[in-house]
Amino acid sequence: MMEKLYLIARIADTRVALRSHAINSVVTVGIPVEVPGAPPHVAGLFALRSRVFTLIDPHVVVGLPAVPVAAGQRVIVVDVADHGYALLADAIEDVCFIEAPETRVAGKLLPGWARVADAMIEHQGASLLVVDPSHFVTLPVMKAA
Amino acid sequence: MVQLQFLGRTGTVMDDLLNDFLAETAEILAEAGGAIVAWEADPADRAQLDAIFRLVHTIKGSSGFLSLPRVTALAHAAEDALDQVRRGNRPANAALVTGVLGIVDRLTTLCAALGQNAVEPAGDDRDVVDALAGQSAPTDVGYEVAGVPLRRDDDFQGELQSWRSIRVPLPLLDSVMTGVTDIVLARNEFARMLRESGASPTVIASFDRLSDSIAGMRQSVSQMRMQRIDKLFAPLPRIVRDLAQDLGKKIAFQTSGGEVELDREMMENIRDPLIHIVRNAIDHGIETLEHRVAAGKDITATIAVSARQSGNQIEIEIRDDGRGMAPDALVAKAIASRAITAAEARALSPKEKLELIFRPGFSTAAKITAVSGRGVGMDIVKANVEKIGGVVELRNDEGRGLTILLRVPMTLTIISGLMVRAAGQYFAIPRGAVREILLENGDTVRIDRVGGGELATVRGEQYPLLRLESVLGRHSDESEDIDDRALVIVRPGQGQSYALSVAAIHDHEELVIKPAAPMIMATGLYAGTTLPDNGRPVLLLDVQGLLAAAAIDATEAGRSHDRMAEAEAQAIAARNAVQLLLFRDMNGRIRGVRLSVIERVEEVPATALFESAGRVQAQVGDDIFAVHAAKLPDTSGPLKLLRLHDGQSVLCYPIAEVIDIVRLPDAVQPSAAPGLIAGVVLIGGDPVELIDPFWLMQQYAAANSGAVPNQPLCRLADDHDGWGENFLAPILRNAGYRVALGDEAVDEAPDVMLYLTEDGGAGAHPSDDVPVIRLRASIAAAGPEDDTVYRYDRQALLDALARRVGGGRT
Repeated sequence: MMEKLYLIARIADTRVALRSHAINSVVTVGIPVEVPGAPPHVAGLFALRSRVFTLIDPHVVVGLPAVPVAAGQRVIVVDVADHGYALLADAIEDVCFIEAPETRVAGKLLPGWARVADAMIEHQGASLLVVDPSHFVTLPVMKAA
Repeated sequence: MVQLQFLGRTGTVMDDLLNDFLAETAEILAEAGGAIVAWEADPADRAQLDAIFRLVHTIKGSSGFLSLPRVTALAHAAEDALDQVRRGNRPANAALVTGVLGIVDRLTTLCAALGQNAVEPAGDDRDVVDALAGQSAPTDVGYEVAGVPLRRDDDFQGELQSWRSIRVPLPLLDSVMTGVTDIVLARNEFARMLRESGASPTVIASFDRLSDSIAGMRQSVSQMRMQRIDKLFAPLPRIVRDLAQDLGKKIAFQTSGGEVELDREMMENIRDPLIHIVRNAIDHGIETLEHRVAAGKDITATIAVSARQSGNQIEIEIRDDGRGMAPDALVAKAIASRAITAAEARALSPKEKLELIFRPGFSTAAKITAVSGRGVGMDIVKANVEKIGGVVELRNDEGRGLTILLRVPMTLTIISGLMVRAAGQYFAIPRGAVREILLENGDTVRIDRVGGGELATVRGEQYPLLRLESVLGRHSDESEDIDDRALVIVRPGQGQSYALSVAAIHDHEELVIKPAAPMIMATGLYAGTTLPDNGRPVLLLDVQGLLAAAAIDATEAGRSHDRMAEAEAQAIAARNAVQLLLFRDMNGRIRGVRLSVIERVEEVPATALFESAGRVQAQVGDDIFAVHAAKLPDTSGPLKLLRLHDGQSVLCYPIAEVIDIVRLPDAVQPSAAPGLIAGVVLIGGDPVELIDPFWLMQQYAAANSGAVPNQPLCRLADDHDGWGENFLAPILRNAGYRVALGDEAVDEAPDVMLYLTEDGGAGAHPSDDVPVIRLRASIAAAGPEDDTVYRYDRQALLDALARRVGGGRT
């Protein structure tokens, strides 16, 4: 049943579904520590239970301008290649089982989204992109759109 | 007994053997002591007796091999006595046990001395041997005569520890490490709480004592985990040999830097990547024998693996002289395997093209298309290295080889860090790389802005200055107090140093370093992240990477060194000193130029300078020279011109006044880019910009060649056998003449005709007003009227030329 469990969140101004097994936790952050010289999608560093996490701004990854991090903002914590990352989320909506099957991405997406989207899924009368959080971390950042 | 002399210092092999022997013997003696005591309690225990016998026998065997006669004799005596007991010829009684223990103690003493001096000390062991042999001898007397201490406790302190070692299971070592890491983290947390609670000084004092012992402990633990990188290199020769044989390639394999030490955890993490890279080099990098021959390379390829320590990082370089990588072929492959689109490919920089090999799945594509190339699992290699906070760099020389550089931190664990602030944010610098900390506006520091860069001079030593904010691309925080700014003198590696300017120094802390995310490590600015006791993450600066980012050469060679060396060098330098002419230029700056390039200092009226074809020129006597000036000087008085001469042309450099002639210091801080200023030197404590005559001449060389030629043209005629062209012309050119050969068309009348025969040109003078010199083949002149010059009389010839032309440069 685990593979049917999704986290519905709003990231980079878009409602998406994230497979729950890819997600470590959802937490709130304070003001992150900046990383001068880092790629633009790195929004900073923050500590959680004596671990340092790298904060990723999904807006930049899909080609949107970066957004400032607000204190208390919720982030989605993921582990990619033994490093801890957190995706800035505009909003966390729900964690739920979705019985509908994942389908191939139909239609043309913006290039930034095409890179991170794996599939689509029907949920409560809306089509959501199923994205792999690790893609936000590892894929090269879009050149300024 | 005789003492053997040769054992002394017969090289490292012997030392290693001796150390192994000592370590082994120490273990055996400790074990034997226990066994003998147990056997004494139960003399009937045959197994125990046999065990002791074997132990003593082992010592006898290995000491014989090492030629340690005293040890051998002692072991032999004990072995002999024990053998008698085994054969039933001698009862096992307390006297015998004491005798054997006496021997054991004497052996221990001997080994201690061996460990210290590597030489078996002279001495007599007859006392203990006799004590053992003569069973009737009163036991106590034996010890007194021998003077051998029964208790070994004292022996095992101090020097003995240098060669004693024990084997510990790795997991245990790791758990100790983790434990210490946790202790340090807890200590940091506790320190913060203590500070906030305003604890009493006595509490703080005892906490500090605890802190100190924790620091000492983590130091020891870190050392426990260090291993020579040799261990990592050890399996490589075999791998190279086998794979080369399979593939029919000839490869010479070299390693160096095996003495570099690395945390064993890091070692585990780079073992596979290293083997992978070496295999790749053999499989894909090195060409087949035929291709190597075709490429004009040595049939035997070279793969060299070297390690070196650079600050708190270890650099491992894997270099081969194979075919390297073809960026365009990589791109083609990547497109074919749909890893990237053609549009993306066009946007790739050369570096990005090479880094395609790190894309996951790239290797598979390479195999399917069967195009040879690298990339077999390079994504895994990169991931493994990045996991431990390392960086993989490629240095490709297409057709000539590939160098892969792995830069990994020396340890993942705990370092002592200096916390600094810049741009309103904290950063950590590894304490090991910090040499000195100074206040920026202190008396000992002087900062000079020269040629667009900054230079810090600390007690006569020069350092390139980096401002942390500008390296990180930030602006300094307005609220920061300028008086807090500090200079950290950083020595990132051997023979390198620079001054890092930061907004403020915070404090020292024991920091647990964790690798940062790959994209942060890839900036090259950071060596990791850490969590200090305030709970906010802090980035650890990569002191080597900062240098690279700032593109500054921080090598100390050629910079000022300490005074001792300077005084020593002065004596040598005085003899073959390069002299420097110091002058004040038209803008009042003090500059210097090597005296040897200055022909003379000319004083001319301002009217001698004129502008022509957009360039300032000067008329000096009958000659016109280029002047290094953007516009005519606006003074009307006389001008001083430095006449720079490079052997061919002259350039004038206007100056306000000559100041002095001094010795050129050895330490020149070179400029970043070529230009008028070659670098900066310190003269009498003041920075002086050094003019680059090479650059200067280069700017005017083109202009000069077309301008009025001030080199006389000398035409050689009657050069029938090429003697003139081959022998004479070079001498003339050196002497400052231009040479035209007989059949060379020059649309310019020669300044002098040189006939290589005595009667040359008798009939046909090209023009009467061209002076003529004829050369003769015989030494002796034909008569007083003979004005020919013997052709091998160089000086006479040059004199004659000078007379005829009235110029040239003789």
